[in-house]
Amino acid sequence: MAWSRAARPTALLVVLLAVPLATSDYFAYELGLYLLYGIAAQGVGLAWGRAGFLPLGQALFFGLGAYLTGFVLKGAAVHGSWVLVLLLVAVALPTALAYLIGRLVFARSHANGPDFPLITLALTMLGYQIANQWTSVTGGFNGLTGIPQLPGLDRYGVGFYDLVAVVCVLSTAGVAWLQRTPLGTLWSATAQNEDRLQFFGFPTDRLKSVAFAVSAFLAAVAGLLYAPQQGLVTPLSVGFELSAGFLIWAAVGGRASPYGALLGAVFIGLLSMELRNRFTYWEVVIALIFIVVVLRFPVGIIGGVERAWSWLFPGHGRLTATRPVAAPGSRLATTSVPRLAYEAVEVVKGGVRILDGLRMTVDQPGIHCIIGPNGAGKTSSFNVLTGRLPLTSGRIRLSGRDVSRARADVMARLGVGRKFQIPSVFGGLSVTDNIRIGLWANRIGGMDLLRGAPQAWSTPLLLRLQRAFPFLEDSQQRRAGTLSQGQRQMLEFAMTALAEPNLLLLDEPCAGLSPDETQHLSSVIADVVRSLGATALMIEHDMAAVEALADDVFVLHQGSLMAAGSYAEIRSNRDVQAIYAGGRK
Amino acid sequence: MTPLVATYALNFVYQVEILALVVLGLGVVFGLLGVMNMAHGEFVMLGAYSVIVVQRMGLPFLWGLPVTLVVCIVIGWVAERLIVRPLRDRPIDTLLGTWGLSLLMRKGVEAVFGKGYQNVNGQLTGTIHLLGTTYPTYRIVLIVAIAVGFALLAWWYLRSPAGTRVKAVVGNPVLAQAVGINTQRMATTTFVCGVTVAGLAGFALAPLVTIEPDMGLNFLLNGFFVLIVGGLGGLVGLGVGSGVIGGAQVLVASLINQTAGYLTVLIIAIVFIWLKPNGLVPRR
Repeated sequence: MAWSRAARPTALLVVLLAVPLATSDYFAYELGLYLLYGIAAQGVGLAWGRAGFLPLGQALFFGLGAYLTGFVLKGAAVHGSWVLVLLLVAVALPTALAYLIGRLVFARSHANGPDFPLITLALTMLGYQIANQWTSVTGGFNGLTGIPQLPGLDRYGVGFYDLVAVVCVLSTAGVAWLQRTPLGTLWSATAQNEDRLQFFGFPTDRLKSVAFAVSAFLAAVAGLLYAPQQGLVTPLSVGFELSAGFLIWAAVGGRASPYGALLGAVFIGLLSMELRNRFTYWEVVIALIFIVVVLRFPVGIIGGVERAWSWLFPGHGRLTATRPVAAPGSRLATTSVPRLAYEAVEVVKGGVRILDGLRMTVDQPGIHCIIGPNGAGKTSSFNVLTGRLPLTSGRIRLSGRDVSRARADVMARLGVGRKFQIPSVFGGLSVTDNIRIGLWANRIGGMDLLRGAPQAWSTPLLLRLQRAFPFLEDSQQRRAGTLSQGQRQMLEFAMTALAEPNLLLLDEPCAGLSPDETQHLSSVIADVVRSLGATALMIEHDMAAVEALADDVFVLHQGSLMAAGSYAEIRSNRDVQAIYAGGRK
Repeated sequence: MTPLVATYALNFVYQVEILALVVLGLGVVFGLLGVMNMAHGEFVMLGAYSVIVVQRMGLPFLWGLPVTLVVCIVIGWVAERLIVRPLRDRPIDTLLGTWGLSLLMRKGVEAVFGKGYQNVNGQLTGTIHLLGTTYPTYRIVLIVAIAVGFALLAWWYLRSPAGTRVKAVVGNPVLAQAVGINTQRMATTTFVCGVTVAGLAGFALAPLVTIEPDMGLNFLLNGFFVLIVGGLGGLVGLGVGSGVIGGAQVLVASLINQTAGYLTVLIIAIVFIWLKPNGLVPRR
């Protein structure tokens, strides 16, 4: 397997190094430029194709890297041996800037909204204006001229081209490696269902900021090589046109793969070298190609090649099963029973009083069922606890801590796991990857995000769940989106349970299941909750299930608690009978 | 009022109205269709180039109006059919598709007219004495025309059945469809009207700005900032957002320079995303 992973980058390296031998030095020089652009396009591909957000101003980091490198190389005579350190700064600064921008914008804006793309576009236009007007530093419109070559490497020579080729192969292999790590899986999960990932305790804004920083790092590295290659950096290298170029190359070549982005940059670069001066409407054609790719061919050239390949050689490239490794203990690992208290919680939204002074206390382990007519505020009581519904007044405490306004990911890290009424899984990921994300919740961190071992983590609970739900093992590679409703309910419950939360919120876990499935899942839930020693709050309409599972029952009505007690007590409660029989409003 | 203050006040009103006119279509399309039309600014650009075409043919300025209408309606309709509609409910792809459209329009115009700046002959080049100052007649005409246009729009929106249908679709698109509103047709109409208003703004601005293929991007970004600050709460939000963004830009640009004005607006937008993500006048 190690060989097959090294095979592609090695092949790429051999091909790239052979190009100047087979063609002219001039061709190699031009190709070198497109390879540089390709490195930056790989960054765009990583951000957009993998982590699911759209950077429209990537040239900002490319150009910043190029300008900084230009300054360093021009001052090389003065700074001498500091050059290497300063070149590192030329890459580190854009990377840090991107991380900062990511943290600023992602913290408050929604995944798919236009905020991030448009702000990055605005930033790159600002960068262009500054580069254009700050003539004393940047050389203004004419650019920073007379940038010396790297010592010993003629910019038109084969040596410099080889350097570019090697860096290009390194970045390709690096991005491919990152995508295979747990971090890469989490990026994919963010792109598919950012909300859900937050409920597993992952701060998705940081995950995305890291992806953005990596993409800016690649752009800055490309810029670093661009400055000595061209000997000139103009405001155009910070501008929106180059930014649009990076996006187009990644799209046409195939955004999901670093090879695709590279291929796109080289392919379109060479084509435009041929056609630029002969065909006026050349760039119109490129724009049309881009629109067609977006509409009809989102996988790009490389995606098409891969599909053809797997059609010709089915079964190729499947991962073999890895030997399971015992997962580390959950970071929560507090055996203490959570004490949850709603203290006169009120939620008013759009003039509707959703929760009306809800008071409810849960401090015993076991299964507590919440029942109540539609609109009683059952799901809302979960939403307000997990930061999905702003609380108007009152307070929520968890084991003494005020969590009234805590975010979803913070609540998950405090040991609150949630399963949704409509099963919410990562539809584009395999069943195994879904399970892994459940296992990683509250366990993975730091360097483990970049190691292979967490892919093979296993816990006693996982084995137990695999026995209970055989499809978890039988359809490991199947995409979760293709599972049946019942299987998705079971998968989502398994993911939620694998995080081993000490407070489980289960919102009609058996909704949409057949009677047999309902009974099966109910018994698994009871078994898992007791073996974890956890506290579970379960919204349930099926009274037979309530009777079988509940240690006690809360009845919500019109946004407040109407009754609480054992199943028998609730059953004989006249008020409860009245609301279910429609006796009074 | 001293002449200087009066000039600044008129400049401010002019800026805000122009901004509001450009943002109107962007905001309506975003509010009603959920589509951030990245090619919105390019329709402003098309309006301006329509005037150039007319002028090159030796026809009077006002002939640019029908040309703008035809160009924007045709391109807007085709774009809605081929790009916006197939990508509904895929927000990132919609952004990409309309971004591709904006590239196409920029590059198309660039291939036909070249990359350089173009100018249109001034219209109504005289001045008018007003509030103790002298102000260009053409701008005064624009200020009055846009104000009348917005007043008519508000009246239509509040009084006409079509306005009620629009409100219904904004409030609950599924229910609106269920009670017999053709939401598909309304989406098409909305998109076409939105971009056509942008085109009209371009037509009106043609004598006052330098015209180039990339001019649309600044309109798009300023429009986006106005939406962030103003929110999607109807015409009031539009006015408030335009006031804040236009005001900040005019003020800082005249005190320091254009770049500082741009930077200020960008910072305001980021602050709003942090502190008031729904804008000053949020949608109810």
